[in-house]
Amino acid sequence: MNVSSKERPSTQTRVLSYAGALLETMDSALADHPNVFIMGQGVDDFKGIFGSTTGLAQKYGAQRVFDVPLMEEGMTGVAIGAALVGDYPITTHIRADFSFLAMNQIVNLASKYRYMFGGIMSCPMLIRLVVGRSWGQGAQHSQSPQATFAHYPGLTVVMPSTSQAIVDMYPQIIVRHPGPVVSIEHRLLYNLDFSVSAGTPAKPIPLTSYVAREGRDVTVVATSVMVLEALRAAQYVAEKAGIEVEVIDLNSISHPDWELVIGSIRKTGRLVIADTSWLEYGVAGEVCRQVMMRDPAMLRQAPAMLGMAAAPCPTAKSLEDIYYPSQHETVEAILTQVCGSRHGIELPVERSMTEGYKRFRGPF
Amino acid sequence: MDSDERYRRLFRTALTIRLVEERIIELYPSDRIQSPVHLSIGQEAVAVGVCDALNVDDLVFATYRSHGFYIAKGGSLPKMFAELYGRVGGVSKGKAGSMHLSAPEVGLMGSSAVVASSIPHAVGAALSFKRRGSSRVAVAVFGDGATEEGVYHESLNFAALMKVPVLFLCEDNGLAVHSFKNARQSYNLLEHAKTFGIEARRLDEGWDMLAIRQATLDALSVVRAGRPFVLEIATGRYKEHVGVGDDFHFGYRNATDIDAWKARDPLLLDEKLVAELKPEIDREIAAAAEFAETSPFPGRDELLTDII
Ligand SMILES: Cc1ncc(C[n+]2csc(CCOP(=O)(O)OP(=O)(O)O)c2C)c(N)n1
Ligand SMILES: [Mg+2]
Repeated sequence: MNVSSKERPSTQTRVLSYAGALLETMDSALADHPNVFIMGQGVDDFKGIFGSTTGLAQKYGAQRVFDVPLMEEGMTGVAIGAALVGDYPITTHIRADFSFLAMNQIVNLASKYRYMFGGIMSCPMLIRLVVGRSWGQGAQHSQSPQATFAHYPGLTVVMPSTSQAIVDMYPQIIVRHPGPVVSIEHRLLYNLDFSVSAGTPAKPIPLTSYVAREGRDVTVVATSVMVLEALRAAQYVAEKAGIEVEVIDLNSISHPDWELVIGSIRKTGRLVIADTSWLEYGVAGEVCRQVMMRDPAMLRQAPAMLGMAAAPCPTAKSLEDIYYPSQHETVEAILTQVCGSRHGIELPVERSMTEGYKRFRGPF
Repeated sequence: MDSDERYRRLFRTALTIRLVEERIIELYPSDRIQSPVHLSIGQEAVAVGVCDALNVDDLVFATYRSHGFYIAKGGSLPKMFAELYGRVGGVSKGKAGSMHLSAPEVGLMGSSAVVASSIPHAVGAALSFKRRGSSRVAVAVFGDGATEEGVYHESLNFAALMKVPVLFLCEDNGLAVHSFKNARQSYNLLEHAKTFGIEARRLDEGWDMLAIRQATLDALSVVRAGRPFVLEIATGRYKEHVGVGDDFHFGYRNATDIDAWKARDPLLLDEKLVAELKPEIDREIAAAAEFAETSPFPGRDELLTDII
């Protein structure tokens, strides 16, 4: 799959997988900053968090990159303690679901440390979570907790959707960002190849939202892998119906660029929200809140929303396929926004989104 | 150093803690302090003995019951009172209150009101010290109840595995709120620590500042050599769990439970030394309270600062 952003200057590019981008940024963080260390279950094993830390323990030694016991809360507390004395810890959870065991440290401690102590201490650190999807991940290996974490002031929550986002954002985060950052990576993206700028891009992706594709007819505000789905759908409706979709990668869940988002919605008057999680009390609700607070009249009609069905994730493929929004539904939502429900435009045949991400096969 | 001089120093710090908290009890009905307070009256010797054995740059991570550790580690009294009063001149500009005291400049890191939650922080700081080849140590201070939490066990395991210079200091007052230890614990803390290969010791004489100081120094010689240590010190909480009153009239415990502690309490026994030191400490406390009184309340401009 090759979904490159239209905005990106087509100067020098190279191909880099999402996992490769993660490995590169982890590697350069360790090389550039002696106070960086990485800990997590399996960070030093041969699989290296799906290829994102492979070989780093050998390269930098067990003092810098090390495995930990099964102790999600303890590990996160250890990271806080190390951060308080000037280290920069990077912790990993191979599934975002497991970070719930660290909720106490993330929510009650890390997010509040700076404020609660009146700014005299802080615990900058990077917490990497991987969202699972497909191949029967089931109810406890598939959750996408961006709304959960973004709810708490003091946490910065990002969801890089491409290799470029990682290459651009992680160096802005690691050591440089003043507080704790939760980065929610998506397993489906890990094995995908993206084209990224070969040198330093003129406009690196910031720690906030950006336009992934310009358009005039409808705005799609998307997160993580749904940005790719939106870009695929945008390409489809452009070809089939000449509809120009503006895709905004929300990118930062805690600190979106609302002016950018609202500016786009004002321009198009039509809105589709495509998120990787549940719609209830989530990103979709927040985007709508931002619209409502400013001027509900900017929307010509009720917005459309795509997210997980309001149920725990089932394992059976037949159910999983309808649990997540398909490309078919994404295109349908866009067309309905622009042309009404009787648009009469042919929909893509593919029904299971994961078929577009063939390079990922289980077990994990 | 002359041992009398050492005793006087420790005694003075312990008396300061007691008098500060007695002042808090007096002030409390005036609502100047609008924050829950967990008093350490009766437990002062632990904070004093332990902190005296530490260097200024050794770090302590403590709990909501931290007035004692704040003072023993050398935190400023005016900033403490201003913090309790919710004023801008407080340690944390009034955003922390009594339960989150800290004084990083003298090694008291953020105190947490979620039981056991700062234990792994001490382990993490110790891990950093070790990685840098530093001789500093970190101390996790927690109550007997905290050892029931999962993160205590995670922290012991990790500290032993990574051989980090951390002292686990359990203030065993036998109570978690109103619940006695035998109703809560199926394990023996020392035996439990030993299964992790961690050396552990209990000191029953929790009123004896010099003995606590010595026990801490002994423990620190192990810790500074890169091995965690569990030090459990028996102590007695005179006041109610939270708040400024006594709680014997509720009937869940007897005043006689505490009488044994009072009978040994140097702050009650050594009246002569108290009389000698009290006037100066009282003046320091009065000045601190005066500073707090005149410090402004934080305004709207403080509401949204220091979040990220
Ligand atoms: C995780 C958590 N559970 C419950 C509480 C309520 N709570 C506050 S103090 C306390 C008792 C703790 O006892 P112990 O650790 O022995 O400390 P002590 O108060 O005796 O000093 C409890 C249960 C809390 N603050 N945090
Ligand atoms: Mg207790």
